[in-house]
Amino acid sequence: MGAVSLPKSDGTTVKLVPSESIVDAVKEIATTHPHLVGITAVHADSNIELLYSFDNFRGELRHLRVILPDKQPSIDSISGILLGAYIYEMEVRDMFGVNFNGHPLPNTRLLLPDSYPAGAPPPLLKTVTMDQLMKLLDSVQELQPPSPAIPITGSSRYSAESVVILPFGPYHPALKEPEHFALALEGEKIVEARPRIGYVHRGIEKLAENRTFLQALFLVERVCGICSFHHSWTYTLAAEKLLGITPGARAEYLRTLVAELERIHSHSLWIGLLGYWAGFDSMFMWLWSARERIMKLLEMIAGNRVNKSYITIGGVRADVSDEKLKIVQREIEEFKKEFKKISEAVMSYEPLWERTKNIGSFTAELAISAGAVGPTLRGAGIPYDIRKIEPYGAYPDLSFEVITEKGGDVLSISTVRVKETFESIRIIEQIVEKIPSGNPVPQTFFMGTSKEGEAFARTEPPRGELYYYLRGKVGSRNPYRVKIRTPTLPNLVLAAEALKGYTLADVPLILTMIDPCFSCEDRAIVYVKGMEPLMVKLPRSVPANLSLGCPI
Amino acid sequence: MEESNSIKLIRKSPWLFHFNSGGCNGCDIEVVAALTPKYDVERLGAVLTASPKHADILIITGPVTRQTAGSLKMIYEQMADPKIAIAIGTCACSGGVFRGGYNVLGGAEKVIKNVICIPGCPPNPRQIFAALKKLYENKLEEEKNDGGSKLTKE
Repeated sequence: MGAVSLPKSDGTTVKLVPSESIVDAVKEIATTHPHLVGITAVHADSNIELLYSFDNFRGELRHLRVILPDKQPSIDSISGILLGAYIYEMEVRDMFGVNFNGHPLPNTRLLLPDSYPAGAPPPLLKTVTMDQLMKLLDSVQELQPPSPAIPITGSSRYSAESVVILPFGPYHPALKEPEHFALALEGEKIVEARPRIGYVHRGIEKLAENRTFLQALFLVERVCGICSFHHSWTYTLAAEKLLGITPGARAEYLRTLVAELERIHSHSLWIGLLGYWAGFDSMFMWLWSARERIMKLLEMIAGNRVNKSYITIGGVRADVSDEKLKIVQREIEEFKKEFKKISEAVMSYEPLWERTKNIGSFTAELAISAGAVGPTLRGAGIPYDIRKIEPYGAYPDLSFEVITEKGGDVLSISTVRVKETFESIRIIEQIVEKIPSGNPVPQTFFMGTSKEGEAFARTEPPRGELYYYLRGKVGSRNPYRVKIRTPTLPNLVLAAEALKGYTLADVPLILTMIDPCFSCEDRAIVYVKGMEPLMVKLPRSVPANLSLGCPI
Repeated sequence: MEESNSIKLIRKSPWLFHFNSGGCNGCDIEVVAALTPKYDVERLGAVLTASPKHADILIITGPVTRQTAGSLKMIYEQMADPKIAIAIGTCACSGGVFRGGYNVLGGAEKVIKNVICIPGCPPNPRQIFAALKKLYENKLEEEKNDGGSKLTKE
C-alpha cells in the first residue's frame, strides 16, 4: 500500500483503519479528541487515501487512515458523530468522487461550478490532467448566471404558506464576497440556512501540483489576500518539514513579526466591518484609518501591503534593518494609543452592545461539533490557539495570553478580537526587543527536488487554525499533493447553524461574526442543483456519546 | 447595443459597483481602503452603490471563474449606458497566477469588452485613486490592446 507514515518527530500517531469500521473508530477517538482538524484525501497508486485528523485541544494529534480503491470509492459518513465533518466530506466527494453513505446532503456540490458535467471525472484525481479538464469544461461553458440554488423548496417539512425561501447572494450588498445562502424564512425568522460556496473556486490545489515547490508558495499565498502571509507560512512550515530545512532564528522572528502585523490589520479591518454592518459608519472609518499605519509598516518591511511574498523556504526574502525596526516600534506605539482610544469608544457604546449581544448565540458544544476554530471558538470560552498548543516561529520565546470570552455571540467574539489586537501589539514590542542577529535570507532559493514522504503544518491566522498537508514523491520538483484546510470552512458550518432563530436583519452581523473569507474556502467546490433531496436534517448538537473529556 | 470605444465620464460623481469575480480578497480590501479616510475616493464624488443599475463604473476584482462569469455578464448588462468597467488587479486583467486553472476563464475581457486594466497584486490604493482621478478629469488616453484598454501617461 502506498501509505507513508507521518514523521514520528511530530509526536503524532497514524492508525490504519478498515473502511467498514470508520464510524466506530471515529466514535471512539471523538470521546478524547473531539476536534476534527480535517479530512485529507490523496490519490496514489490506484488508491484514495483518506486521512482523518483529530485534536484534543492540547495539540496531541491523532490520525486515522483509510485506504479505498479509486474505482467507485465509498465509505460511511461520520457527520452523525461530528457535525462539521459534513462539509469536509462534501469537499472530498467533489474533488475525488468518494461517495459518503448516509451523508445528510447527498448529490449536492460544494465547490465545483454548476456547469461541471455530472458524470465527469473529479478534478483532483491524478489520472485527470489539467488539459483534459479544460477541454471538458470549455465544451459545456455557457455564460448563463447560475440558477439560484433553492434546495429547500418542495419540502414537506414546511407548508408553502408559512415559509418563504429567500435566495441571499451570491451578489448581495451585505456580502463583500460572492456566496449564496438559501434562507427559509417564517415571517422574519430564519428556520433554515443552507450555504452554497464555490464562486471563487480557482482550483489552487490542482494548480499547485503542476508547479515547483517555490512557485506553489506564491500560488498558495494568493488563496486569501487578508491572511496571505499565514498561508505562505503554513505552506513553508510543511515544506520545510518535508524537505528537512531549518530556518535561522532571526528569520523565525521576522516571520512572527509580519504575521502579527497581519493579525492586527485583519482584526482592525474586521472590527471596522462590524461597525459597517451594524450601521455605525464612523467606527468603520476610524478603524480603517488607524489600520493604514500597519499597512504602511507592512509595505516598508515586505514591499507590498497585501500579498507580501516575504517568506521563502528556508528563511525570508529580505532582512529588516535596525532603523526599520525602530520605526516599527515607534509606529506600533502610536497605533496602540489610537486603537485604545477607538476601541474604548466603540466597545463602550451602548447601542453597539445592544445590537451585538445575544445575536448569533451558540454553545461551546455546537462550536466543537462544527469544528469551529479561532476567535469564533475562543468567543465560546475554549482556549484553542495553535500559537500556544503547538508553538511555531518565535512563539515559544514570546509571552502572550490566549484570549477567551464566555457567551458565544457576536459581542463576545468582537471582544476577543479587540483584546487579541492588544496581545499582538505586546508580541511585536517583545520581538523588536528580543530579535537575534544573523542572516535570515537563505543563500539560494529552494530549487531542488522532493523527498518521499508527507508532512503537515498548522498555524493560527487571524481567523483560526489553518492546516496544510504536503505529500512529496522522491525526485520530483513539484509537490505531489497540497491540501489546504482553511478556518472559514468549519466556521461556516457554525454560522449556518447560528443563523437559525434570528431575523433577516441579523444575517449580515451573524455571517460577519466568523470573519468569513470565502476566497479561502473556495479553493476546492459545492453545488445544489434544482430540487434535490430537500431539507435534510443535520445533527444539531453534539451526540450524547461524545463526552467533552478535555479540560476546556 | 453599439459598442462605444471612447472612455469618457459624463457625470462628475462616478458611482461604483464592486464585483468580486473570484478574487482572493486582496484587491477587494484595497478597493475598500481607497474609499476610507487616508485615500478617500469619495473626494471625487465616488461612492459604492448596492445596485448595478445605479452605477457608472463596474469594478471587477479577481480572475473570472466559471461560476461567476454568467453573473458578471448579467450585472454588466444591467448597468445603464454610458458605463465603464475597470479590472483591478492582475487576476482581473489576465487571470494572473491562476491562469490555466480548470475553473478559471481568465481576465474580465473574456466576458466584457473595453475593460480598463489596473495591474498589480494588488494595486496600491494610490494607483486606484490615480486611475479614478484620471477618469474624473477625462484625461484617460486609450491604447488599444487586444480588446482591453490600458492606462497610459498623458
